[in-house]
Amino acid sequence: MKLRITAIEPLSPTIRRFTLGSGGPLPPGAAGAHVIVEIPGPNRVWKNAYSLAGTPGDTAQYEIIVRRVEASRGGSAWLHDHAALGDELDVSTPQNLFPIIRTAPHHLLLSAGIGVTPFLAYRRALATPYTLHHCCRPEDEAAFAKLLEPARNVHIHTSRNALNLTRLLTTQKLNTQLYVCGPEGFMEDVLDVALRAGWPASKIHKESFGGATGGAPFTVRLERSRRDIHVGPDETLLEALEAAGLAPPCLCRGGACGECELKVLDGVPDHRDHFLSAAARAGNAAIMTCVSRAKTPSLVLDF
Amino acid sequence: MNKSRPVYTPFAIDTAARFHLIITDQAAPPPAEDLPRENFEAWVVKTVAPGVQAQQAGPVRAFRAVPEMLTHLKHRLARETVGLRLYAVGSEAFLWDVHNLARAEGLAAEEIKLHQAGPKLRRVYCTHCKTMIENAALNVIACPGCGASLFVRDHFSRRLAAFMGVKIDAEAPGEPFVPEPFET
Repeated sequence: MKLRITAIEPLSPTIRRFTLGSGGPLPPGAAGAHVIVEIPGPNRVWKNAYSLAGTPGDTAQYEIIVRRVEASRGGSAWLHDHAALGDELDVSTPQNLFPIIRTAPHHLLLSAGIGVTPFLAYRRALATPYTLHHCCRPEDEAAFAKLLEPARNVHIHTSRNALNLTRLLTTQKLNTQLYVCGPEGFMEDVLDVALRAGWPASKIHKESFGGATGGAPFTVRLERSRRDIHVGPDETLLEALEAAGLAPPCLCRGGACGECELKVLDGVPDHRDHFLSAAARAGNAAIMTCVSRAKTPSLVLDF
Repeated sequence: MNKSRPVYTPFAIDTAARFHLIITDQAAPPPAEDLPRENFEAWVVKTVAPGVQAQQAGPVRAFRAVPEMLTHLKHRLARETVGLRLYAVGSEAFLWDVHNLARAEGLAAEEIKLHQAGPKLRRVYCTHCKTMIENAALNVIACPGCGASLFVRDHFSRRLAAFMGVKIDAEAPGEPFVPEPFET
């Protein structure tokens, strides 16, 4: 869909809220849904996933909140430095890989940094009690306090009042569902503490975007397409395939959904996704092209 | 494999848990070598003579009967925290009574482990009058609710925690049938 930027609101020097609309009705996105936004760059197009942060089901407009990433792969920097009111962007229909478990009587929401965005939509949709703990840098506290309006069940943590994850995750009632969204390090901390506290996988729901951080360049040989593709240090494998004119499967572009899985015929992948099980990772027979890279100079893929 | 029958595995501790609650409709918990060394409780059912106190031995707690134990279980689960694993050991009907109670209290399927033990007696649900018949030993029984002769099918309802009993000669009235004991 071609959508226009209808409002830009700075929330902090590095965080901006964009409102997107077309004038006509948009497909609704439920709480937890995200859209893929195509961002024009000087040499290439970025495809970044952003959670819908506005009112769930809104068909008049979409709201996304964008942090200017320091080691930006390009998309967020363009949105901060060049995007202007009235600019037209290509936006996908909303996809939801992070839905609310409606049958649960209590929800524990844990976010860090810009990972709070899906929970802004959650808060307007949750029909049963919830507790939200948000972690951020002290300099961002004011911006998130404005977004979150802390209450008895909504807490913001900075280095001054750090969140005690172990105590939190060992004192939750049996009927609690856990939702986690934030940067890689935060996600790993929470999942590690949750597993040690005995949480079953079915009660943990996670969403991570922007996990693709680049790395050493490598080459992929596509066995069926008979192509050799070079993957540069600041592009993902998926982006390199797309830049070569191929249309590999993909959906979330964040290593969460499993849609982009390709078979690995040779070489060792550097797994960076949240989809493959530990056993599947060790087997090295599959790779999530949207975030994962290579430990060997080249990979041979069945595509 | 019969798809209408749940499949059970031998009793084994889930090492990912923080605390283990093992409950059985038998008089004794699983053998000590199978139990965790710490962070567990085992609940058993022990009928004792009038006036005699049930023995409480360390983490083993004895109840007078299954209904009493299940009432306590409901209150206990309402106070428990995520990290608990619940293990039910006993008759198939008991396992699913425990399972259904635990699910209602917020445990996920993977937090509940079911292990069949004891005699192969069945709880039977009369599909005609909805009467529950406990401890059926043969595959043909008379329903105490409506008097029908019921054939006990190899079809277990997890929701009702019972096998389905249907009128034996519903298709061909008067057809004779030889009752057999259950093998599984």
